Amino acid sequence: MSLPRFEYRAPGTLADALAVRREAGEDALVMAGGLTTVILMRERLARPRLVLSLSEIEALRRIEANGALSIGAMATHAEIVRSPAVAAVAPLIAEACGHVGSPAIRNMGTLGGNVCHADSASDPAPALLALDAEAVIAGPRGERRLPMTGFFQGTLTTALGGDELLAAIRIPRPAAGTASRFVKYTATTAEAFATVTVAMTVVKDAAGACRSARIGLGSVASTPIRATAAESLLAGRRLTREAIDEAARAAADATSPSSNNQGSAGYRREMTRVWVRRLLEDIAAR
Amino acid sequence: MTRHLSMSINGEPHEFDAADHRTLIEVLRDDLALTGTKDACRQGVCGSCTVLVDGVAVRSCLMLAARCQGKSVTTVEGLAAGDRLSALQQAFVEAGAVQCGYCTSGMLIAATALLESNPSPTEVEVRAALVGNLCRCTGYAPIVRAVLAASRAGAGHPVAAVGS
Ligand SMILES: Cc1cc2nc3c(=O)[nH]c(=O)nc-3n(C[C@H](O)[C@H](O)[C@H](O)COP(=O)(O)OP(=O)(O)OC[C@H]3O[C@@H](n4cnc5c(N)ncnc54)[C@H](O)[C@@H]3O)c2cc1C
Ligand code: FES
Ligand code: FES
Repeated sequence: MSLPRFEYRAPGTLADALAVRREAGEDALVMAGGLTTVILMRERLARPRLVLSLSEIEALRRIEANGALSIGAMATHAEIVRSPAVAAVAPLIAEACGHVGSPAIRNMGTLGGNVCHADSASDPAPALLALDAEAVIAGPRGERRLPMTGFFQGTLTTALGGDELLAAIRIPRPAAGTASRFVKYTATTAEAFATVTVAMTVVKDAAGACRSARIGLGSVASTPIRATAAESLLAGRRLTREAIDEAARAAADATSPSSNNQGSAGYRREMTRVWVRRLLEDIAAR
Repeated sequence: MTRHLSMSINGEPHEFDAADHRTLIEVLRDDLALTGTKDACRQGVCGSCTVLVDGVAVRSCLMLAARCQGKSVTTVEGLAAGDRLSALQQAFVEAGAVQCGYCTSGMLIAATALLESNPSPTEVEVRAALVGNLCRCTGYAPIVRAVLAASRAGAGHPVAAVGS
């Protein structure tokens, strides 16, 4: 089926895009890579009067590492995978983006579109949570920053206001000695949505104990989540078998998965425990 | 709204009018009669509609035509030089990588993009590059063999006349 009729607008600056967004309000659908938006329109789940494409705003594609790493909302997964700045500061996010769909999907899909869609099954989102990333949000009253933990609010719902746009994702430089791990576990093929996605960062002290940990989980709750109880259990402890097992159980307890073709709720919870344990064991062994 | 678009398609400049809501695949197939690009899932999953936009493999079922203003589009019709198949196309013929043929144009485009960026891929790299292109006939093995053979033959350079 073809798409419903709409007017296409692709302003060249963020300021112009914000003006169009404010003036059109609910009548406008913001388009990034267009993957989800085109499907929503084809299924008649969205019937906008106007499509506001961010594709011509060069500034939103920029990836920079002056201190913190800043990834423009319109940077594609493929650009993030190839970026030397990302590799230098936060290779975890490149690894996560490399697991999104297939090559053509990574060429079209953007990090901003991915997090604004707020699908619980997002692969980059758990990595962003594990990296203490912030959303840089542009609105009529200027810019605000919001930790990604507060950005995801519910099923396919974010904290973005109707007159705001996501401008960038900001990732602080991880402390020296931070170990990071990522796994996208799928029950079928590599390009499918995950049974569970686990991303973690662990800062170890000189003696090898865990100073602090961040664990992001995807596909196992209504939004991407952090396993904060598991993180607290690890803070200040040596990564012994007991500590790892306790943390893995706490991470599994933090989930509220649904059953779908990537696994039953029980299986997804159990795979969360298994993969959190395996990634922690791997970090402990280094 | 209808707008006037200009873009290069398979190396030829094209100018046409298209309504804003039309996708690239609709314009290619319905307006320009370039029916080599195949339309199947319309959800980005199957890869049969894959084309190159400015050399990058994309799904034409999820790409608005308006977004391709001023860009350069390559479809399967643009791979051969006249009646001379590209090395990759020739390798598909020789390896028996085509059965019903519905996936073939998307496979050729995805593999062309791979060989442009990585002229000597490993088998694992070939499989990773084609992970988003579904084939219900061949079992994939002959397709992977064809891409590896083309890489050895120096893909991209026309090597044989059609039918020879
Ligand atoms: C076949 C297929 C397979 C996929 N596989 C995976 C996978 O394995 N893992 C994974 O994580 N993802 C996967 N995805 C999702 C993909 O990664 C994209 O991130 C997602 O489709 C949306 O990105 P987009 O850039 O196309 O955004 P769009 O579809 O253009 O936009 C998505 C949503 O975000 C809003 N939006 C976009 N940008 C902004 C902004 N800057 N400010 C405010 N609102 C904005 C839009 O209005 C819309 O609601 C897949 C998608 C497809 C089609
Ligand atoms: S028709 Fe576009 S990916 Fe299937
Ligand atoms: S040859 Fe029939 S789908 Fe691939």
